[in-house]
Amino acid sequence: MSDNTLKAVLRQHAENEFAHELAALREADTHARPPNWVLSPWAVRTYLLGGKLDGGIEISPKYIGNARLMEIAISTLATDRALLLYGLPGTAKSWVSEHLAAAISGRSTLIVQGTAGTGEETMRYNWNYAQLIAKGPSHDALIASPIMHAMQHGLIARVEELTRIPADVQDTLITILSEKMLPIPELNTECQAQKGFNLIATANNRDKGVNELSSALKRRFNTVILPIPDTLDEEAAIVDRRVASLGRALELPAEKPALAEIRRIVTIFRELRSGVTADGKTKLKIPTGTLSTAEAISVVGSGMALAAHFGDGSLTARDIASGIIGAVIKDPVQDSVVWKEYLETVVKERSDWKDLYRACREAL
Amino acid sequence: MPHHVFGIRHHGPGSARSLVQALSALQPDCILIEGPPEADSILPLAAHEQMQPPVALLLYAPDEPQRAVYYPFADYSPEWQAIRYALAQQIPVRFMDLPVGNSFARDKAAESVEAADEPNASAVIRRDPLALLAEAAGYADSERWWEHMVEERQDSSQLFQAILEAMTALRNEVDTDCPRDTAEYEREQLREAHMRKTIRQANKDGFQTIAVVCGAWHAPVLQTLPSAKADDALLKGLPKLKTTATWVPWTHERLSSASGYGAGVDAPGWYAHLWKCSEAGVCHSPLQTRWLTRVAHTFRAQGLDISSAHIIETVRLAETVAAMRNRPRPGLAELNEAVQSVMLFGDATPMQLLHRKLLVGEALGSVPDETPQTPLQQDLTQEQKRLRLKPSASDADLLLDLRKSTDLERSYLLRRLQLLGIDWGKGGKRANGKGTFKESWRTLWQPEFAIRLIEAGFWGNTLAEAATHKLIKQAQDTHSLEQLASMAHESLYANLPNAVDVLMQRLQAEAAISSDIVHLMQALPELARLLRYGDVRKTSVEQVSHVVTGMVTRICIGLPNACSALNEEAAEAMFKHIQSVQEAVNLLDDDSFSQQWTQTLQALLDQHGLHTLLAGRCCRLLLQSGAVAEDESARRFGLALSTANDPAQAAAWIDGFLRDSGQLLIYDETLWNLIDRWISTLGDETFQQLLPVLRRTFATFTAPERRQMGERVKQGQAALPVTSATNDMDASRAEAALPLVAMILGLEVIHAS
Repeated sequence: MSDNTLKAVLRQHAENEFAHELAALREADTHARPPNWVLSPWAVRTYLLGGKLDGGIEISPKYIGNARLMEIAISTLATDRALLLYGLPGTAKSWVSEHLAAAISGRSTLIVQGTAGTGEETMRYNWNYAQLIAKGPSHDALIASPIMHAMQHGLIARVEELTRIPADVQDTLITILSEKMLPIPELNTECQAQKGFNLIATANNRDKGVNELSSALKRRFNTVILPIPDTLDEEAAIVDRRVASLGRALELPAEKPALAEIRRIVTIFRELRSGVTADGKTKLKIPTGTLSTAEAISVVGSGMALAAHFGDGSLTARDIASGIIGAVIKDPVQDSVVWKEYLETVVKERSDWKDLYRACREAL
Repeated sequence: MPHHVFGIRHHGPGSARSLVQALSALQPDCILIEGPPEADSILPLAAHEQMQPPVALLLYAPDEPQRAVYYPFADYSPEWQAIRYALAQQIPVRFMDLPVGNSFARDKAAESVEAADEPNASAVIRRDPLALLAEAAGYADSERWWEHMVEERQDSSQLFQAILEAMTALRNEVDTDCPRDTAEYEREQLREAHMRKTIRQANKDGFQTIAVVCGAWHAPVLQTLPSAKADDALLKGLPKLKTTATWVPWTHERLSSASGYGAGVDAPGWYAHLWKCSEAGVCHSPLQTRWLTRVAHTFRAQGLDISSAHIIETVRLAETVAAMRNRPRPGLAELNEAVQSVMLFGDATPMQLLHRKLLVGEALGSVPDETPQTPLQQDLTQEQKRLRLKPSASDADLLLDLRKSTDLERSYLLRRLQLLGIDWGKGGKRANGKGTFKESWRTLWQPEFAIRLIEAGFWGNTLAEAATHKLIKQAQDTHSLEQLASMAHESLYANLPNAVDVLMQRLQAEAAISSDIVHLMQALPELARLLRYGDVRKTSVEQVSHVVTGMVTRICIGLPNACSALNEEAAEAMFKHIQSVQEAVNLLDDDSFSQQWTQTLQALLDQHGLHTLLAGRCCRLLLQSGAVAEDESARRFGLALSTANDPAQAAAWIDGFLRDSGQLLIYDETLWNLIDRWISTLGDETFQQLLPVLRRTFATFTAPERRQMGERVKQGQAALPVTSATNDMDASRAEAALPLVAMILGLEVIHAS
């Protein structure tokens, strides 16, 4: 692909976007590499967590958070066990998976997107039916899936949203992961995985109605749970950045909200999510919804839209109240008890939150 | 130089192993250990076959048992191994630290001057000097650094040489850099002077090869002995308190740093495992494999499915992570991370179980029967003597009059013992009779109480302290609101104000997350009583009121939900709860509570599909509080008893409205009028239809109540039973009754004349 076509692409693959970093790392890498790995585990760690190479080249951090989690993830892939990245929506699971694949195999594109309609042939192989009818089953008529391709070439394959795939299709992975081979009974042959093959799956642990992994399959994965941002500051900064770009994209005339207002929303979300107030003194009931960072972003976004189109353009407590209530109360009975309790025992007590308290009381 | 100094780290399996090796190589003829010299006499007990670590040396001032200090030992404490070595070789072993009696006296003097201040940086270094070195070597955890250093070195005597050198450098640095915290520094000078003095004494006693086992920090200054003069001068004329030493059983939990023990370790269970593995010497499988197998067994016992394949994969992952971190073998951190990732699918919750069961461990030590009395035993003996309450092996009845201070304290004593699992006294119910100030007990002393008392020793040195600590621990372990409330009650009756504070915090926390309104409603009356009548200290009152406020709010928010779709039985239970909350709210007599509660009842009254028993009661309660006017109640009364309704429901409504209120009906004009008017308006036919329903409720009133009602009806509208006002009192006859009244009320009659 030429440089020009690359630039026209809406979003670049990790291995293209950070090609210079990967090249520099490969050059500086002196540690042993597992077979078919582009970089050593040490270099992969540096790629993910950032650092400075001897040559003065700066490696940008791809994952900001607990370094130990990344170490476990990389070690897992080095032990030929499959890796399951688990977590709430919006905790950078797919992002980490993409970068791991890019750093280890130099290629992050062998991907199966899991949906309720994902069939076995998407996981294993498909047929070129014209060939199949003309010549009968043959290697030429076989179309390898991304997973099979990864096995043949010793690369990392990715499965997104593993738990959305129907359980019987999920179990196709068991043989692939434990015996590292894919039988092709039609040709009376098999595809044996080359060294370096492995699988990174991502799954969401908060959604209802997903297909729980069978324990046989679960046992073949090492699980790393990616947590929500550690601190209020970190999360508020993420929301702030995203809201700024969101406002630009939607061309909202409202002015960017003050960080204080964002912190207040993030505080409410964090407190309800963790079931304890920020000062650690009062316990709270936890609502049924996820209350992820992404939802906090959308509360601010809709508040800005309200302020811009129906208010005076600056974000007030009234503009965010309905958004917060909508995000918190997903179950009309249980969650409204949770929210009322929170309102009466926490929000009411905070002297500088009076406006929010009144706005929420009105909106209820 | 006849003495060899071994600088060690308390509770390190690595240190212990190296020390044992070094001692066997050195073959000393005397061992001096950093520890309290007062305990020399009970050292031989360490070799007793009933002695099972973890145990602790306890030194306390018999006159003030709360002044005490513990020296815990685990199997893998280097000091413990040194003691065992000396006893096995039958060579003298002595403690060489500054006598605890001197420290106590110094503490006592210091207390009168100033309160203890925060430990500063140098104090932290003193407590764990290796931490600084470990940090310099790039480790976060000094114990791990230590482990690695010891594992990698074969020649352990050189290791001690290396520690000595490192410590000398460290001390030079710290002593010049850090500002000297005078009290701490002075204490250290005294201790080290005493250690040197003991070494000189041992020299004088003619021992040829003396092994000195002390904390690494002290090693440099014990290496060479300056002239005795300065030390003697320093130690001269120190004040001293009388002390007693004994052994007490200890637990792994209290060895852990989480328990607040200064020299504690993070994972006593893990170190015990390290020690056992190295001690056995026949470990065919590597340490981590054995550890992970134990982890798997622990999880299996808790019902988690962990297969052998899990263990294999966990070992592999832990080893790879260790390799990635440039560690020669997986440490505890790597093992834990691997366990979480492979066995638990990333879930951190079961790790807490692992922490409790394995990392800390639930080991409880034991001490021989010959061990001298513990302070708790002494405290009990003293209390028994003071309160003239002799233990006896045959049961005796005891009637306590709580208005007398001795009896009150006896009650405290028995209740505290009960809390510690020593049921010397049983019962403790308020005695029959009109007063609430009498308690009847049945006491019976059983021999196993003595053992339980020793076991209870690690909770504290006085009964009050021990019971408080035990309650606090239990409070932290339970999630049941009801239990917490009853524990608050117990701690109040046993006069343990410190426990009350903690219990209130726990109640607050649990009330917040409890989704079961019924539990809150059950706990509230107890707390309301506590708040209203409790003789709690000021701070507690504030806390209780905070908890109560939170509870009332939560009950008011949650009640309408909790009352929907109840069956007969559940409605019956809820009826009682609503009634008791009403009583609690009345008792609290707080406008904001009453207002919230009234609003809730109103919401409840209008709730669609509410069980009629509850609806009836709500209506009654609101009528009484004046929130619902008489006319409105009459309307609702009529509505509920309309003939169109299912008779069973109508009966439940009127039952809810009138239950347990015979007396009230007779004396409450409003209520009487309401029902009277309603019945008068009924047509003949309707009346006949409703009669059975009404009868059902009226039959629950007592016969005298029914008779009074009948009389009232007969006499007509406004005829209340008359209470005649008497003004022709015969003073002398009244006075004759006074002594009896005074006796009943527990008052003294003061004769005016």
